[in-house]
Amino acid sequence: MSFRELLNKGPFFLDGGMGTLLQAEGLKPGEAPETWNLTHPDKITAIHRAYYEAGTNMVATNTFGVHPQRYDRDTCEKMIRAAVACAEQARKEADCSHEMFIGMDIGPCGKLLKPLGPLDFEEAVSGFAEVIRIGASCGVDCIFLETMNDGAETRAALLAAKENCDLPVLVSNAYGADGKLMTGGSPESVAAMLEGLGADAVGVNCSLGPDALAPIVERYLAAASVPVLMKPNAGLPQEKDGKTFYNVLPDAFSAQIAALVPKGLRIMGGCCGTTPDYIAALKKAAGCLVPPPVEKKNHTVIASRGTVIELGKDPVIIGERINPTGKKRLRKALEDGDMAYVLNEAITQEERGAEVLDVNVGTPGVDEPALLTQAVQELQAVTDLPLQLDTADAAAMERALRAYNGKAMINSVNGKQEVMDAVFPLVQKYGGVLVALTLDEDGIPATAEGRLAIAERILEEATKYGIESKDILFDTLTMTVSADGTAAQTTLDALKLIREKTGCGTVLGVSNVSFGLPEREVLGSAFLTMALERGLSAAIMNPLSDRMMGAMISFRTLTGRDENCGAYIRFAGELPAMQAVAPAAAAAAGPKETGAKGLRRAVVKGLCREAGILAREALENGQDGLELVKNEIIPALDEVGQGFEAKRLFLPQLMMSAEAAEAAFREIKAKTAGQAEGQGSKGRVVIATVKGDIHDIGKNIVRLLLENYGFEVTDLGKDVAPETVLEAVERLHAPVCGLSALMTTTVPAMAETVALLHERTPWCRVMVGGAVLTEEYAKEIHADGYGRDAMAAVRLAEKFMEEKACGD
Amino acid sequence: MQEGLHLEELGEIPFDEKEILRYAMLPSFAPKPEELPLQECLKAAKGAAQCRAVWRRYPLVRDGNTLDLGFAKTDSRDLRQHLEGCDEILLFACTAGAETDRRIARAKLLSPARGLLMHAIGAQQVEGGCDRLCARLAQQFPDRQLTDRFSPGYGDLTLEMQRDVMAALDCGRTVGITLTDSLLMTPSKSVTAIIGMKEREGA
Repeated sequence: MSFRELLNKGPFFLDGGMGTLLQAEGLKPGEAPETWNLTHPDKITAIHRAYYEAGTNMVATNTFGVHPQRYDRDTCEKMIRAAVACAEQARKEADCSHEMFIGMDIGPCGKLLKPLGPLDFEEAVSGFAEVIRIGASCGVDCIFLETMNDGAETRAALLAAKENCDLPVLVSNAYGADGKLMTGGSPESVAAMLEGLGADAVGVNCSLGPDALAPIVERYLAAASVPVLMKPNAGLPQEKDGKTFYNVLPDAFSAQIAALVPKGLRIMGGCCGTTPDYIAALKKAAGCLVPPPVEKKNHTVIASRGTVIELGKDPVIIGERINPTGKKRLRKALEDGDMAYVLNEAITQEERGAEVLDVNVGTPGVDEPALLTQAVQELQAVTDLPLQLDTADAAAMERALRAYNGKAMINSVNGKQEVMDAVFPLVQKYGGVLVALTLDEDGIPATAEGRLAIAERILEEATKYGIESKDILFDTLTMTVSADGTAAQTTLDALKLIREKTGCGTVLGVSNVSFGLPEREVLGSAFLTMALERGLSAAIMNPLSDRMMGAMISFRTLTGRDENCGAYIRFAGELPAMQAVAPAAAAAAGPKETGAKGLRRAVVKGLCREAGILAREALENGQDGLELVKNEIIPALDEVGQGFEAKRLFLPQLMMSAEAAEAAFREIKAKTAGQAEGQGSKGRVVIATVKGDIHDIGKNIVRLLLENYGFEVTDLGKDVAPETVLEAVERLHAPVCGLSALMTTTVPAMAETVALLHERTPWCRVMVGGAVLTEEYAKEIHADGYGRDAMAAVRLAEKFMEEKACGD
Repeated sequence: MQEGLHLEELGEIPFDEKEILRYAMLPSFAPKPEELPLQECLKAAKGAAQCRAVWRRYPLVRDGNTLDLGFAKTDSRDLRQHLEGCDEILLFACTAGAETDRRIARAKLLSPARGLLMHAIGAQQVEGGCDRLCARLAQQFPDRQLTDRFSPGYGDLTLEMQRDVMAALDCGRTVGITLTDSLLMTPSKSVTAIIGMKEREGA
């Protein structure tokens, strides 16, 4: 029987702990076990052999820590070759009648991936690829990814395995007692992602004993359509007389695991604290059991890092707002690389009830593959909503799909052969739920039957790639009713027909129906209700629209999906609050303090909402925007700034005032609509936190204050390479650059950046700041100025600009 | 898991508003600014921190000016002073977890002031976790006197030692802390420290 067949049959026995046994043989604490492949190969071989003889079908090589992040390539290669040789020798020596395989063991690389950590996703993939190629060339039988506690890293490793060998891949993650990965993944989200990428088995190891891991394994069994594995610790480590021992003994250990076999568990072994005795006991307890066949789950699920959404049950709200079509402000943000704006759109939609976010960044002049990938990564750092990747550019789709941590919704394919040829291979490789538009080379059929015919052709083609119909949703295309009075009816008929004939779920972008008509949401919400009634699985819509949300929530309530009408009551309760924000805030500011004087006070006090409202009122009463800035906002900021410098006011207050000023500026800018742009600008400042440093609180404060004081700020973010700073300063011919570093270890990167700027952009004055810096230190690295705090940075920038004006 | 390592789940750490404001650079003598969105931030931070720690006990050996800490050697004068009279150390790593970093990133987007506050909340949570751990350690070693915490990077103790700490406590595997090339810890709200142990003075 082949390895894969054996896995699917089960029970299949893995090995137990390696580290524990090596310590008993003399491995010192902190010493890397993989070094023993070279120094004590006999000991490694003996351990593998003992496991084979205890009943193990697959031993894992002693290569857990071998990774290019820790060792150079030659060392990696030597260690892996030696490790595989040990396992082969053990297989030769072992006196066993059962099948014996060798799995190449791969653990985490030791660095956290972006955006929470420093490691780039593709760099992680290529690191894993390097060791996997070596292992595969040594003739191992499978790749065993284990103890992974971050979903993104697991994804990188699995992708590397799939791209660099044809071997089966077993993937095992390490969960905490809360049933989550360290970075927040759940059994359901991880299983959905790994299956999409083609894992041959999924499951759990390490962290906990068999009883504590059992509920997590059961969740895997309920979610996964591939074999499930389990490799628990021998309970929890305890100490007695200075010795560590584990509190679950072989009999209890094996009984607890064996109890899961009738539920479907078929691949099992042990982790920390387990020995060949545990595996022998496990084989005795479970060897004769027959797990039920692996069950294909017919769920249409998408997943993010830690959230899973099933389509086809309750209708799902897909937020449509991250799409530049017809949105000038978003288009500008994308052109400027202003990711904060995009992220804010995401958070707002989430807060208003979106369950999935559509992400479309396609606009002329941008590098769409790079931008979509960046957007996906940054969005996943701040929201756990699953994403719908929306692009017609196959290259952009592929790069974003690689980086997406989860199982994405893919928007879209259609009946055109060329498009199917480009998109289906991506779904086959990376997994995902595909949105399929019912149009083809001949356009959009005018009848429901015509759209069904395209849907059937798409399904047929998908089968060639092994893509199941459960992973396809059809979009029957919302047309504008003002252009064709029967358009909406055809779309709805097609929706119902396709649903009935193919059994597939459906999705519609509902907003388009009302294009060109007044009070669009009235029509749109009625259309949404009609589509929902015909079985719509997901609506791409505007969650900021009370009417659209009202239609969706009402539908859920009216179809028995809203227990005690709770969701409806909550929604209704929030309605007046949303509609009445403005008057309430104005009232809170006090009746006597409206207008300009109130604005000044609101900025001093750091009252953001009031500052915005008062600025708007003042403008509506005919006051000049620039006068407001000069006579009210700047004096208010000065008052706070002086208070801060005199230590009467402190950082949080300074920041609140700066934000209040910003709120007022926004109103003024909106009113003057660009005419004030550039006017009154004091000049360009490029700011960044230097390479290697991920602290940006201080830098963000500096940005805010500089903007308040009329500088145009280009914020390059954190962990910025010297070359990137140089590029921006050169391109913008920026007269001032501000650098921040919080750590002694990153000051050299700051010194390097300063030197590079002085050499290549001699016109630019460089100011530095951050916790570890002092005036002396700043001089030592030849900075032009040292900003003790954010106010000092503003003063410095002003001084530099004045000097420049005098010099010119 | 390696011999001698102890894992501690530290549970939920209560918010301490005074401490949080102090971490947000508001001195304790200053009146509490009412306009700060502290309550909103506390609400947004709820449930984020999952403080976990790993620790290990080592004998302390002196050789001239060199301290042998069991997992690394150092000539740090400040640490030598800190560990005066001690014959053992406890080495620990504690983290508030990755979700805390995510909430900070989210708050920063909404506004810099929220970012500052969320950052301060994270700091208070991990420090609160360390306090809870230290209380447990004091209970565990009732007949020993424990010093305060001393972290790599304090005084003349180099940050380079973080690499040794990560290896000694197997931090990636035990609590999910890893290092960047510039020796920053991820997740960012993490603490490593050394505690000295000596004979109880007097009673």
